[in-house]
Amino acid sequence: MAKHLPRKAEVVVVGGGVVGLSIAGFLAEGGREVVLLDAGGPAGSTANAGSLHVQMQSRFLRMYPEQVPALESGLHLYPKAVDFWHDLERKLNADFGMKMTGGLMVAETEDQLDFLRRKAARERALGLDSEILERSDLDRVAPYIGPAVIGAELCANEGKLNPLQANAAIRGWAQSCGVAIHDGVHVAALSPQGSGFIVETGGGKVHADQVVIAAAYGSRTLLEPFGYELAIEAEPLHVNITERAAPFIGHLVQHAERPITLKQFASGHVVIGGGWPANLGSERGFPTVELASIIGNATLAQHIVPTVSNLHIIRTWAGVNTPTDGKGILGPVEGVPGLFAAIPGDAGYTLGPLCASLVAECVLGKKPAEDIGPYSPARFRTPAAARPKADAHLSAL
Amino acid sequence: MPSDKAADRPITDPEGSTIALSSANAGRAGARTEIAFEGAPVPARIGESLASALAGAGHLVTRNTARGSERGVFCGMGVCRDCLVDIGERRNIRACMTRVEPGMVVIRAGGESPPRQPTNGSTFRQLDSVQVDHPDVFVIGAGPAGLSAALSARLAGARVLLADERAKPGGQYFKQSSAGAPIDAQQEEGRRLIDRAIEAGVEIWSDTLVWGGFEPLDFAVNRAGGILVVRPRTAVYAGGAYEKPWPVPGWTLPGVMTTGAAQTMWRSDRRVAGKRILIAGNGPLNLQLASELIAGGAEVVAVVESAPPPRSFMNAARMALNAPGLVVQGLRYLASCRRAGVPVYYASHVGEIAQTASGLKVQVAGAQERSLVADIVCLGYGFLPSNELLRAMGARCSYDSGAGHAVVERNGECETSIAGLFAIGDCTGLNGARVALAEGTLAGEAAARHAGFSTSGTHSVRKASASLRRHRRFQKALWSVYWPSVKTAPTSDDTIICRCEEVSRGAVLSALEEGYRAAGSIKQRTRLGMGHCQGRYCGTILSALLEHRGHQVDDQSGFAPRFPVKPIPIGCLALDPAE
Repeated sequence: MAKHLPRKAEVVVVGGGVVGLSIAGFLAEGGREVVLLDAGGPAGSTANAGSLHVQMQSRFLRMYPEQVPALESGLHLYPKAVDFWHDLERKLNADFGMKMTGGLMVAETEDQLDFLRRKAARERALGLDSEILERSDLDRVAPYIGPAVIGAELCANEGKLNPLQANAAIRGWAQSCGVAIHDGVHVAALSPQGSGFIVETGGGKVHADQVVIAAAYGSRTLLEPFGYELAIEAEPLHVNITERAAPFIGHLVQHAERPITLKQFASGHVVIGGGWPANLGSERGFPTVELASIIGNATLAQHIVPTVSNLHIIRTWAGVNTPTDGKGILGPVEGVPGLFAAIPGDAGYTLGPLCASLVAECVLGKKPAEDIGPYSPARFRTPAAARPKADAHLSAL
Repeated sequence: MPSDKAADRPITDPEGSTIALSSANAGRAGARTEIAFEGAPVPARIGESLASALAGAGHLVTRNTARGSERGVFCGMGVCRDCLVDIGERRNIRACMTRVEPGMVVIRAGGESPPRQPTNGSTFRQLDSVQVDHPDVFVIGAGPAGLSAALSARLAGARVLLADERAKPGGQYFKQSSAGAPIDAQQEEGRRLIDRAIEAGVEIWSDTLVWGGFEPLDFAVNRAGGILVVRPRTAVYAGGAYEKPWPVPGWTLPGVMTTGAAQTMWRSDRRVAGKRILIAGNGPLNLQLASELIAGGAEVVAVVESAPPPRSFMNAARMALNAPGLVVQGLRYLASCRRAGVPVYYASHVGEIAQTASGLKVQVAGAQERSLVADIVCLGYGFLPSNELLRAMGARCSYDSGAGHAVVERNGECETSIAGLFAIGDCTGLNGARVALAEGTLAGEAAARHAGFSTSGTHSVRKASASLRRHRRFQKALWSVYWPSVKTAPTSDDTIICRCEEVSRGAVLSALEEGYRAAGSIKQRTRLGMGHCQGRYCGTILSALLEHRGHQVDDQSGFAPRFPVKPIPIGCLALDPAE
């Protein structure tokens, strides 16, 4: 970790999760002098459960049916994002603990299975490797799935990794590329100055030519002064971790109707999460969990995979997801030259490194490998708001 | 006698799994029986702890770690989880917290087999179907503090539930015999207090784990194979303490255990593990254990005390003035060591332990440097408060840098920053059983009053206040006498500091080199504190390391406290308690 906050930097990246670290690394590789500022504490990537999501999550389809078109429009990015993780692991010569065993979404009723049939058909049309398994197939492919399940959708593109290993490796790589990482530095505000920006932090001001905001739900307040109202919100979610066991759950497991993700890391721990609520716990400094989520989430897990009932939960924690309007918020912030947003949205960890590379290409003045036009922050620009006057904004602080 | 009642109940372990017990197997506590360990028969007594039975038969290795190292009983009180065994289909069960039942089939934990299919309960359930109990006052922990709080609140008229993780009430200080009559005045005092609480109408729930606390005052409780919620008007937390780690090379070897673990085997089960025993640490408990084991016929190799020999007349006088009985007791322990020819090496400490063909070779460092050999090494280097539940509930704390742990803030009535939640005894600091008893009387009465019962500064409350003042003075003088010459263990870079995840000090230093600073991020980088014991030992070692290196350490800088405060089997969450 760099010791003293510099007064100037070519690029400041706000946010040290998987997105910010990756962007910072790519920019440093591209020859930029990069300072990364992270508020520290538990956040999206540092409290992530390591699912590599590709198929549409039933949770989002249920909660936000109006967002399905947006979700589908970006679905082609998901398998590419998983491939990108593979490429990154090879490029860094690291071990992310990746396992590409596919993801199962299980059904308990004919209705649920029909829903999965329709979903799989749409996903296949959009290029995903999704198929429906009947119970007899499950007995062969996933014998650990309990008798309550009558069938499932198997999406071969899905998998899992160990975020502890991945985060550490990506951070080490970014540092070795020359990124100056400053932990525990909260960015209070951004304001334009000349052709660049003043980044106001708890530890002083940094002048930057370019700024990339990769601060997940924290991005919203940073972009407000520029006339943007991002439709994002912090979504604290519950996670249970069990003790180690010999490998017995291969897939990333979800449910057609109930919120759950269930998987076993290469380390043997079973991680159970997938959408049970938690509290932001802002007064405590870290998100806190709810009893209802411990009971509901863990017993749902043993309902689907009965053998987990013999495992002890050794820890619970809450991570914070950053859902958007169904797709990412990526690229130049229109009307504010030098400012970029990098918020991958739902399944942000899966999409993180790929989205980071796309935004990094924009910052470096290159054409991104994917058309990121559809993900432009412009859709959140408020018509009335104008770019704030630098002096007025600073004096208000 | 309460012990007989306990023996008649279906046997469960405190995490809440029910051990199948057919009527053919039912037997009286203390009766001889046989169990199987790793395929070989082991003689045992019904009702004694499985850890005692195994150690008594010379089985010191109970589990294998993920890296293949051997481990055995360490804390002896359900904290470290190094004594995990598999019993039948149940995995990772604490031998030290499990009572022997005839026909138990036990193997070392840590095998490679995946968990087996459960025989019961794999249903989905939600919180709203969980039973709720509404006592007036809920007391957690049935040691001296909790027992006296429960009695005091009950005498004020409140309906009192007293929950404890162990098989019998009494806690570490009053720990009761698993069978038979009390062995000495200390156990007898405990038995009388337990009887008084029962006679007064305190409902005692043994084998009960309180693993979570949620707003406003809902406690998640595993008991008799299931879960329930306890929603009292007020609650008193009396979680006690556990031994401070002494992380020297070799401290994870089987046969190295805490002083408390060896004492529990002796006091509760009349078992001595091994023949030659070396006792090392800081404080009077080590001398007490030595004197008890000598009386039991064990060969105590030496007592290694890190404080210098007692010299200060002033402190001795202050101790004698405030608690003459305790001083006499201490002198008796010392005299019994002298009579048995057991050397006491002052201003000395354990520097390293190694396994050799002839036993555990202990390098003693400090004023009386030497090398000793023993079968069992007991380490008793002070205590840490068990305040995890309080911290996880958000009770305000401060950080005691000298002691190396967070201290829960309390007002004059022992109430924490959470309204209606009281905290007493060693979980709030480390002042011993007399202070715990007095605080219990005061806090129990206050908890009943806050729950709506009229109390009127009774005689016992005034007596408790006076006792509290006197024994706090005694403790201050005691720990001046026992001021250690060395405060931190000589940890080498390859010493394991996280017993569960097998993380070395060197790995933590590397993480610091890489720029990780916060306890939470060091945990994520190294897996330090991610294991079964949930960072109870390595957390304080890390704090000391960070402080030593000039980093800011405070009550917020350790690992974030998490639920469950002890591991719980998922299966229990779907079931109601079996009673």
